[in-house]
Amino acid sequence: MQSFAIHNLENHHLARPKRAAEDHSLIPPCQAACPLHMDIREYVSLTAQGRVMEALQVIRSGNPFPSICAHVCAHPCENACRRAQVDKPVAIRALKRFAVEFGGDRMVECEAETTHDERVAVVGSGPAGLACAYYLRKLGYLVTVFEAHSQLGGMLRVGIPKYRLPREVLDTEVERLARMGVEIRTNARVVSLDLLFDMGYKAVFLTVGAHQGLRMGIDGEESPGVIDGATFLREVNLGLKPSLGERVAVVGGGNVAIDAARTAIRLGAREVNILYRRSRAEMPADDVEVEQALEEGVQFKFLVLPKKIRRQDGYLKVNCVRMELGEPDARGRRQPVAVEGSDFEMEFDTLVVAIGQAPQMPGGFGVRVGKGSTIVVDPVTLTTNRVGVFAGGDAVTGPATVVQALAAGRQAAGRIDDYLQHRYPKDAAESRETLVGDLRPETIEMIRRIGRIEPPALPPEARTADFTPIEMVYDWEAAVNEARRCLRCGAGAEILFQDKCASCLTCLRVCPYHVPYVDATGAVRIPADQCQACGVCVAECPARAIVLRRPYDRRQVAGELEHVLRSAAQTKPRPLVVGFCCQYGLFGTGSLSDLWREAGGSIWLVPVLCTANVEAHHILRAFEMGAEGVFIASCGEQCARENTEFWVRQRVEKARRVLSEIGLEPERIEVLVPSDHNGSTAAEQLDAFAQRIGTLYLASILMQEVRS
Amino acid sequence: MAKSSFEEKLDANEFVVTTEVGPPKGCDVSGLVHDIDLLKDKVDAINVTDHQSSVMRFPSIGGCLLVKEQGGEPVLQVTCRDRNRLALQAELLFAHSRDIHNVLCLTGDSVDVGDHKEAKPVFDLDSVQLLRTARLMETGTDTSGNELKGAPQFCLGASVHPGADFIEPQLIKFDKKVEAGAKFFQTQGVFDLASLRRFMQYASQFDVKILAGIIVMASARMARYMNDNVPGITVPQPVIDELATAEKGKGLQKGVEIAARFVKTIKEEKLCHGVHIMAVGNEKIVPDILERAELISVGA
Amino acid sequence: MIVAERKSLEEIRRTIAPYERVLIVGCGTCATVCGAGGEREVALLHAGLRAMEARSGEGWHTFLEFTVKRQCDAEFLDALVDRVREVDAVLSLGCGIGVQAIAERFPTLPVLPGVNTSFMGMAKEWGVWDERCAACGDCRLAETAGICPITRCAKGILNGPCAGTKNGKCEANNEMDCAWVLIYQRLEKLHRLEDMRRYYPPRNFRVIPRPRRIVSKAEVAVGGNNG
Repeated sequence: MQSFAIHNLENHHLARPKRAAEDHSLIPPCQAACPLHMDIREYVSLTAQGRVMEALQVIRSGNPFPSICAHVCAHPCENACRRAQVDKPVAIRALKRFAVEFGGDRMVECEAETTHDERVAVVGSGPAGLACAYYLRKLGYLVTVFEAHSQLGGMLRVGIPKYRLPREVLDTEVERLARMGVEIRTNARVVSLDLLFDMGYKAVFLTVGAHQGLRMGIDGEESPGVIDGATFLREVNLGLKPSLGERVAVVGGGNVAIDAARTAIRLGAREVNILYRRSRAEMPADDVEVEQALEEGVQFKFLVLPKKIRRQDGYLKVNCVRMELGEPDARGRRQPVAVEGSDFEMEFDTLVVAIGQAPQMPGGFGVRVGKGSTIVVDPVTLTTNRVGVFAGGDAVTGPATVVQALAAGRQAAGRIDDYLQHRYPKDAAESRETLVGDLRPETIEMIRRIGRIEPPALPPEARTADFTPIEMVYDWEAAVNEARRCLRCGAGAEILFQDKCASCLTCLRVCPYHVPYVDATGAVRIPADQCQACGVCVAECPARAIVLRRPYDRRQVAGELEHVLRSAAQTKPRPLVVGFCCQYGLFGTGSLSDLWREAGGSIWLVPVLCTANVEAHHILRAFEMGAEGVFIASCGEQCARENTEFWVRQRVEKARRVLSEIGLEPERIEVLVPSDHNGSTAAEQLDAFAQRIGTLYLASILMQEVRS
Repeated sequence: MAKSSFEEKLDANEFVVTTEVGPPKGCDVSGLVHDIDLLKDKVDAINVTDHQSSVMRFPSIGGCLLVKEQGGEPVLQVTCRDRNRLALQAELLFAHSRDIHNVLCLTGDSVDVGDHKEAKPVFDLDSVQLLRTARLMETGTDTSGNELKGAPQFCLGASVHPGADFIEPQLIKFDKKVEAGAKFFQTQGVFDLASLRRFMQYASQFDVKILAGIIVMASARMARYMNDNVPGITVPQPVIDELATAEKGKGLQKGVEIAARFVKTIKEEKLCHGVHIMAVGNEKIVPDILERAELISVGA
Repeated sequence: MIVAERKSLEEIRRTIAPYERVLIVGCGTCATVCGAGGEREVALLHAGLRAMEARSGEGWHTFLEFTVKRQCDAEFLDALVDRVREVDAVLSLGCGIGVQAIAERFPTLPVLPGVNTSFMGMAKEWGVWDERCAACGDCRLAETAGICPITRCAKGILNGPCAGTKNGKCEANNEMDCAWVLIYQRLEKLHRLEDMRRYYPPRNFRVIPRPRRIVSKAEVAVGGNNG
């Protein structure tokens, strides 16, 4: 029996290091909401640390054209962001924009090597087509993109106005594809898929978009002066200048309607009205876009529906009816109902109908189409009814977002690869759990409110003259501060070693957010959906049973410390001073960046992700390895968390006690804050501290000489 | 056995006056003897403190013997801090054998407030249990039920704190002391007569004698020091203010004045059955207080 | 729970002085909960000793660390069998029971205490521990409203407060509540003040002759005829 017990314990102990290396983090809601499943938490965190190049790497690993998304993504991630439950969601798209600009995405070279003989044709060069070409090329296939227009980009080129997506950004991506070896055929309208197979292509990805504007189906819709939104935007984007007259109306409530209205303003229309049959709350258009349209002078006429159009005296007389919202339908959207006898007439020069679009499929393709003329596909494999023909993007889904199209393109590349390599097509299973659930009110109450920082934009009066992009990039400080608002959902603490947990309730007592609790069985729980990943319980757990869920977070302090101590040992600086510094904002903003500049050669900085993670034994380790002084630079009031400095000071006091017990002066350990009670900056405090250590060091050398 | 003169006066409902002397730290008892000589004829009994404030000193029982030798009437103070029930009983037997019958039974200050903080605090018994022990011994039995050869007799006293800021538990303890056999009570220092009056309204239902404790203060500084450092004592601000009005070097005179005023009022208004004057090192001024309070005639 | 406190490094340094290789052994139960000798404190002490060795310039000790689930049962100490072969002494951060259990389990191994076992108590809040039980062997809590005067009164007296209480605090330590004031207040709420008016005779210290032992198993004859 006893030998069995030994065996068991030993085995258990040996098993620990492996478990400690596993990633136990949950997929955060932002990532789950992203069609591309991007590791948003990670690149936001890296941005918060000022590690913008690495942030870009993470972004690029999940997105073929991050610069495009950085401008135009509809950011479903932000809609899922749980920070909204505290104040406002993290400005994820704007942070991505910062990362691609400051990380130098323009300069990134994408390499591709041909490893397969099979050639694939991509019909259509919208975001889905380009993404598919990108990934197929990465997989080693020869890819040709066929585009009916003279330039690549599909809706990115002909749909989205230039003030939202500068064309250089799109051109950069197209050039990058060309350099990767993607063959590009413009002005090449594909009329028959058989022809493509005859040309030797082994697979075809159909991604022709949804460019056909829907019609209202009312009298007079054919009148001159009435134009559909997609056509209007295409003409403008291809360089035509349609004459609109002075009064323009746009019918519809989606993003295309807003784009059309704002484009009309830029073309010189004096008065632009949006006619929408529901109210503001039901508008599918992006809120920010609506706000900006209002700023630019677009007027909204809600609960209005055109009934009839007459052209008279060179004007369009539009007969409208007032609507009211009735009962919610099955999807919960309140249906508009005409108010009896409320007809009235409005007068415009031009009427843009932007109520939706549908794909337009050449008959010769021979693919089955379904509701709204969209191509019918198997949602997992994206295969059509024709062997070797895959389809995706708006042509399959109807008008959707850029990011959805990119995801479809990536999925298609994978499925086409499966097809060509005769693999059973299957979506890759995600092994990690997705975090679900809202923050509890008690948790929300404890989270520090930090206002969302919007990226700067041109003032409205400066926007409407032409198609200059209106949104600018964050500066370094704004980006880092915005990124620090991330709650790091799902990357919190867990009791990894339940067998070690002594149920002491330290975690419960130290948690600034009141997250841990005792369940009905008496076990201590740290619910992953509430934990704010501050790490205080990790550093305080007397049994060391708690770890952060991500392996990197677990190793970070000790790893960086050892690295610094090794480096310092090589240069043998005297006297050596080691400083643990909050890495959030260290490189980017705040006074802590000064510590790098003003620090002498003998001061070595250990960057840590929140100084609350520094433990007393880390400090003592530095002294063991020859440090004469150790400081912790806390970020003070700038901290996104509560009470960090309290915990820093607890650890410092603990280490000071040991220090005095081994005969060293406790004042060899110091806490630096951004501004102390004398108003000194962290850099000034560091100078004073370094001087103090110098004196203590000299005194100890003298003492040694006196003794010997 | 004859009652002590002190007990006789209590029984006769006389207004009794007691005071106390503190034994020295060391063997030189000349100062103690001097104080005893000065006081023995002016008061009805002299308490000898037992390591007051837990500071190690010459023992109370030794001081009581000196009082006896000088012809005075001693009150032996016995605390439970330093002795277990064996030693306490032995001391009571010894006291009786030397004709010392007045015993003030106290729990004793905590060791932490004294000069031997590392000592083991005994507290085998508490004050209530000590009173009962003494009464039990009078019946010829020790605490283990063994028969005593020759039973002692005592006039037992206890302390009570009328000015306690949280009075209810103190009153319960007072009840228990009465029930345990205390015949007289020397109170903790009383600084305002209102609290004494309130206490007496309660205590008068019992057949016990209450001697109001009067602490003579030498300065406002001393009053504040006692507030901070002496267990259970709170000198009210008006008294401190009055002390502070004294000219430099005349603080003690002011303290005497205040104490005398208190004693006089207590006597005149028959607030209680006597007073117990604690001069805390200034024993020589006790006669002065008694003169001013017209309890003894000038020069007597 | 048993509450302990780490000994000073100076004292530890003196006790380990004769031994070159020392295994620091933590305890995963009480000593962990009270923050004196769990895995974290073992690591901290280890770091402290190593720093001390490094700074003194004359260090020659080697330290190893390990934390067992519980030191006070021999079965848990089996995990130490291989580890103690490599050392000259064990420095235990368990309570006094743990130290003795290790000594009993390894008869030829020097075992040194790294903590002072202080009392039985509980956390008042994070990082603050209060004594609650004196293990007197004669529990009177039924009569004192669930507040122990033996532990929480500086004098351990049974019949009510001494006169040293001021502002509801103890004369021995003006940060500690007077137990008898607390008892009174709670009895009042429980309408049980008569419990306090009752006389409590001197305690029976006879119930705790040392060392104490409790035998909860019955004396039974095995294999006999019960009929």
